Amino acid sequence: MVERKTATVEVDLSIPVQADLVVLARLAAATVASRAGFGVEDIEDLRLAVEELCLSLVGTRADGRLHLSYENDGDAITVSCWYEAEAAVPGTWGGEADDLSLRILDALVDDHGRGLRGDGPSAWLCKRRSDATA
Amino acid sequence: MDQSFKIEEVEMDGVPVVSASGEIDVATAPPLRDRLQALTTSGKSTVVVDLLGVTFLDSTALGVLVGALKRCREAEGDLPLVIREPRILKVFEITGLTGVFPIYESVREAVGSVK
Repeated sequence: MVERKTATVEVDLSIPVQADLVVLARLAAATVASRAGFGVEDIEDLRLAVEELCLSLVGTRADGRLHLSYENDGDAITVSCWYEAEAAVPGTWGGEADDLSLRILDALVDDHGRGLRGDGPSAWLCKRRSDATA
Repeated sequence: MDQSFKIEEVEMDGVPVVSASGEIDVATAPPLRDRLQALTTSGKSTVVVDLLGVTFLDSTALGVLVGALKRCREAEGDLPLVIREPRILKVFEITGLTGVFPIYESVREAVGSVK
């Protein structure tokens, strides 16, 4: 399920959309960040941010697959995430929990955004190492 | 560190105290929601939620706590939280919820505030 690559893209992950498997997305984030030399605080921030990224895409859905790509350029990690539904779903977001997710992402990562990939919603985030030079 | 999720419930000076430990996420938040909902529907308007053993908490968990707080306040009660871990407190701070929940550093202090 986890594929290691060389150079920039380090890890691709594809998981079924099940509540008890989202932990794999944050586990992969922590592993990539740890290997990249991120500190404990940054790793914990990234773990939570990736969780929120996934939640903001799948909401309460329990079908389809979530695809994640973790890219490390040394000083920053970019995580791209997209949702592949079994049936067509609108790529929309909203709700109180989504508002909390956005607030968490705003606070914990340097940049994040949303879009569409194919027929499904996608989102990404970028987290720089706290001790990285600009 | 044991990351497995557990919920325990005790009563202290007549106040129900729900203690959660481990990681509260999209998979483990529903049992917490059900436990809090059961208490409020059984007539408990104030419940102390002890998060001292919690190691991870996401927006799903926050949603569960906000929902429980609303039900308690509607019944003229409250939902004091017990948090000491800076990482958990940080999640409440960045979402602006430290101004919404009464937050204490010990269960004794939280129970004392609502007696």
